[in-house]
Amino acid sequence: MNQQLLAKTFVELADNLVADFDLIDFLRLLTDRCVNMLDASAASVLLADHDGKLRVMAASDEQVRLLELFQLQSDEGPCLEAFRTGTQVIVPDLTREVDRWPRFATAAHRSGFGAVQALPMRLRDETVGALNLFRAAPGSFDPVGTPIAQALADVATISLLQQRSAHRSTVLNEQLQNALNSRILIEQAKGKLAERQNVDMERAFTTLRSYARAHNRRLSDVARAFIDGSEPLPGLAA
Amino acid sequence: MRSDSRSVRIQVLVAEQAAQRGARVGVVDVCTAAVAALPVGGAGVSAMSRTTASHPLCSTDTISEQLEELQLTLGEGPCVDAFTHGYAVLTPDLLSGQLQDHWTVFADAALEAGARAVFALPLQMGAISPGVLDLYADVPTVLDAEQLADALAFADLATLLLLDARIEETSAPVDEALLDRGFEDLGGYRAEIDQATGILTVQLDIGIDEAFVRLRAYAYTQGRRLADVAADVVAHRIRFSPDNEPKRTDDGT
Repeated sequence: MNQQLLAKTFVELADNLVADFDLIDFLRLLTDRCVNMLDASAASVLLADHDGKLRVMAASDEQVRLLELFQLQSDEGPCLEAFRTGTQVIVPDLTREVDRWPRFATAAHRSGFGAVQALPMRLRDETVGALNLFRAAPGSFDPVGTPIAQALADVATISLLQQRSAHRSTVLNEQLQNALNSRILIEQAKGKLAERQNVDMERAFTTLRSYARAHNRRLSDVARAFIDGSEPLPGLAA
Repeated sequence: MRSDSRSVRIQVLVAEQAAQRGARVGVVDVCTAAVAALPVGGAGVSAMSRTTASHPLCSTDTISEQLEELQLTLGEGPCVDAFTHGYAVLTPDLLSGQLQDHWTVFADAALEAGARAVFALPLQMGAISPGVLDLYADVPTVLDAEQLADALAFADLATLLLLDARIEETSAPVDEALLDRGFEDLGGYRAEIDQATGILTVQLDIGIDEAFVRLRAYAYTQGRRLADVAADVVAHRIRFSPDNEPKRTDDGT
């Protein structure tokens, strides 16, 4: 564990939380930092909507996003289990879990993942989602890393609460709904930009995010302005 | 409880209202079903837009009707705030002091009309925001977490119904049976649906609302799932063009 990187990451995350931050952008940053700092090849955040259905809110790459979607569709896997039980699910070797999650274990293997840690995002007695860390190689996890990963999952939960107080909403349900809607908004903007600039979705996302950062704006505000065509956005608009 | 039970349950409640009316499901059925399911006295939906005039679409009673009219005329109130900011505006008691400062004219007028609590839920799907669902109660009322989750599910359904009403305007031959079962589509592969909607705004040079309507209309006419059509659009297997019917670009291979 690189202490300096760890300290730097928490400072960066805390910095984001006190500013007028964008939840989707923040969760993506968090998954990226999990990959840099912890023993992980990929990371994702799932949140429950008002139906209690999990949705992929952030993923460090496309491969892990697709695997999460597969997991949600086939209704089995470690991330769902962490969410449903509210406890950590730590799997050092996915090939040994074929009986437990036949479809998921096979799909994970095909995606190149050998081990996973799923950390519940808990708020008092409610579980609102899960932070999931995937690793290519099987093998036990660094015991120091798991509490740090759980701390990052807690930071993700705090980011929801922080966002909620900024919007004066007192109800978690409503806040999750807003988060989900931001996610939709950003996907719509990615589609428009990808088509316009003839780039892939990941490139479209980083372009939108860089624009928001460079202009000190919230990602979802930039996404909305881009879709509405309501203001000139140099570099994004045609 | 099964995780997907809420939206299904809400759809059934709304479909029952339509069956009683002997008509196809519409936003008015969302309003009457919401009044039956929640501790509110009335409900109404207004179509709202940033570019054209907003107008009331339906309401369940005269108080609801007045509330819709008042807000659109005054340009202030919970429904206006919900539309502008894109989040639910929940007002358990209009007599609370700060609110009267915030909505100087609306608060008093609404109280006079007979409302005490007002809840406005934006109808939205990312940048698509065709209107607002308004609920009122004649006594101070707090919606608990379950009731609010139900209200949000009613608003989600109203959003789709409002957009689906426009499919008929696209002159697509619509199979009604497909329309009736069309709501289960917006699940797991959500991101592709939203990305495809964004892509269509460029391919067809249209706004985001219409792009979604066109995508759904195409899925209906082809008898395919929306998620599958969306995945084809994202993977460039189908391309839309303003002059022609959408083309499959992979020759079916």
